[in-house]
Amino acid sequence: MPQLPLEVFCPNWFSDGNGNGNGNGNGNGNGNSAGVVLEHERVLALSALAAAAGVQIGMRRGGVLMLHPEARLYERSAEREAEALHAVAMALLQYTPLVAEAEEATLLIDIGASLRLFGGIRALCRGVRANLRALGFTGALSCAPTARGAWLLARHGGGRSATMASLVRRLDRLPAGLLPPARPFAAWFDGIGCFTLGDLRHLPRPGLQRRCGGALLDMLDAAHGMTPELFDWIKAPATFSAKLDLFDRVEHAEALLFGAHRLLLQMTGWLCARQLAVGRIRLQLEHERGRVARAPTVLEIVLAEPTWRDEHLLRLLRERLAKQVLEAPVIGLCLEAAQVQPMAPPSESLFPEPGGSEQDQLRMLELLVARLGPDNVLQAAPLADYRPELANAWVPVHQQIRAAAHAVQMPLDVLSLPRPTWLLAKPIALLMRNDRPFYGSPLKMASTPERIEAGWWSQSQTRDYFIAEGQDHAHYWVYRERLIGVPGVVGVPGVAEDAAPRWFLHGLFG
Amino acid sequence: MTLHQFITAPQALHPSLWLASQLAHASTRCVDTGHPTLSSQLPGGGWPTGTLIDLMLQQSGIGELRLLRPALAAAARRRIVLLQPPHPPQALALAALGLAPSQLIWIRTSGTSRSSDALWAAEQVLRSGSCGAVLFWQNHARGLCTATLRRLHLAAHSGETLFFMLRPLAAAQDSSPAPLRLSLRPAPGGLDIEFVKRRGPQRDTPLFLPLPLPPFLLQRHATLDRALFAPVTARSILPELVQ
Repeated sequence: MPQLPLEVFCPNWFSDGNGNGNGNGNGNGNGNSAGVVLEHERVLALSALAAAAGVQIGMRRGGVLMLHPEARLYERSAEREAEALHAVAMALLQYTPLVAEAEEATLLIDIGASLRLFGGIRALCRGVRANLRALGFTGALSCAPTARGAWLLARHGGGRSATMASLVRRLDRLPAGLLPPARPFAAWFDGIGCFTLGDLRHLPRPGLQRRCGGALLDMLDAAHGMTPELFDWIKAPATFSAKLDLFDRVEHAEALLFGAHRLLLQMTGWLCARQLAVGRIRLQLEHERGRVARAPTVLEIVLAEPTWRDEHLLRLLRERLAKQVLEAPVIGLCLEAAQVQPMAPPSESLFPEPGGSEQDQLRMLELLVARLGPDNVLQAAPLADYRPELANAWVPVHQQIRAAAHAVQMPLDVLSLPRPTWLLAKPIALLMRNDRPFYGSPLKMASTPERIEAGWWSQSQTRDYFIAEGQDHAHYWVYRERLIGVPGVVGVPGVAEDAAPRWFLHGLFG
Repeated sequence: MTLHQFITAPQALHPSLWLASQLAHASTRCVDTGHPTLSSQLPGGGWPTGTLIDLMLQQSGIGELRLLRPALAAAARRRIVLLQPPHPPQALALAALGLAPSQLIWIRTSGTSRSSDALWAAEQVLRSGSCGAVLFWQNHARGLCTATLRRLHLAAHSGETLFFMLRPLAAAQDSSPAPLRLSLRPAPGGLDIEFVKRRGPQRDTPLFLPLPLPPFLLQRHATLDRALFAPVTARSILPELVQ
């Protein structure tokens, strides 16, 4: 990653606005001000905008400020670079469990066993490149049969060589100064006319070892596959929790998506390495610290079906963030995998089911819940109650209801109960005209009554339900309130009934 | 095929050609409506899947679900989505129509962006193609613009979902990309179905489809077994007793 010192301060998605802009070019200029990273008061890395202003590597601080007064100067931060490298390593764990950090901001991954799964070397490189871009870094990718060979190619700007012979041809043309142990002797190599690695390889080995030490020869041999290489593979930690400091105060929840995507990519790598699937994730939006400190806003996403891919999680987060109203600017993100379980590989059937599998349905429902809210995507959970309002219960769709529980609550014969298709949320009191209930037109009773008298323990209902037909031939479900319990007429309910028959509309037959 | 045959039967050239006096062939799979008189009037002999079907109702609760019952029951192997219905649906009544409660999803929309939320939800459900049927109620007085309807129609094309859009009768005046548009009015003992648009001949008179409420709803009291009186034969009773 050649631009790493700069990109830990201004990642490329942060500068070009919407993240999926300009490929892996070096568009790191931050809109209106250029970024420059200094080490020991000398320019180490610079953005394209700074380069256009005439800033060059090796300049002093004063020179930079003279050429470009608005330039943002950063001191190189080894700690941040190590963190960033680790984050990328975590994301790359989704391609192979063998990822190692190497010197000079490079990562080595062994993809020998992953080629077939990811559809060949080109597809895999495309995937790695896309991930790097989403993480906000620019990278130079190279592939070679030996790790040191790939490292040398990457340091020189990238390239692919699939066979040993082509790797040797390419290596022979690289400058000799690429090898770190050769750098102290650069002047001497220049003096004897040894410019490329090929020239270096043809020097007599005993003399080279005596003058430059064994490390140089070891590295050269490793690049040509003549000595085995040993690596310190990165181990995934037991729990996942990743943090990201934003570089600005973000006030719109949608703008957090790019940061969240970066954290999700890291989690994907971690899940793949640990062979786990995540059932619940927690995203904390951290607000201002210090005097106006606020507790972080927590977004929790519960999945019906554990997953280890980031596409679905990203869609859910996008809908949730679009709905979220930020009360204060956000300065940091923190993602945790709150609940994990072993990965269960999907059972593939020979013929795909029409309309997708059960998982597809659950995923679709989760997406709806993420945008509309859990109270607006409902499933039926009828209760065994005589009162129609209570019997018609609907619960959020992610509540698990067993089929047996369903069956217990249903009447034995659903056809035995006359119920309307639509039950009004609140019964409508009907007007009376000529002693008939009136709703648009006089209603004519078309059925025998059904007496519902229940609920003395909570909401008492004493009603006679009828199916009525209006003059427009639509059918209505109406009831007459039976006034029982009116003071003074206890025991003589008939008096109260005849006194004031009150009619209500409660449903429509669709 | 000779030129003569082309001229006498041009509709045989291509499946999407039809004479103005006959019904078109269906381009997608069709689900039987369950009502033979209606099926015979529809191109393909049923409700087309993966298409926007526009039903315009005089008001809700006139028997629209009784009309759709056989088709929905056939589609109930997968979930059925009720999107933005005018009133809370009643699971027991839907169970009596043959739709198991576990297969029903009721999507409500609330708040300021309810129209866009409902359209978004409809599109997501249709694009995922994992549901058997989608019933989308659009009750706003101001109708949807044609571009929105076309978008939904295209989303329906991506799957085999049965997609009904239920709108007020006033929407019949607006244009719509739906290839099948019916308007429904209640009639004594059934529904009057008017074919606003179909791939077939223009039909001016509405089709009457009998859809009575099932008799068990109206007469739910079982007849009691009564002990019959002993048959009285003539002159078996003494005249003194009669008087």
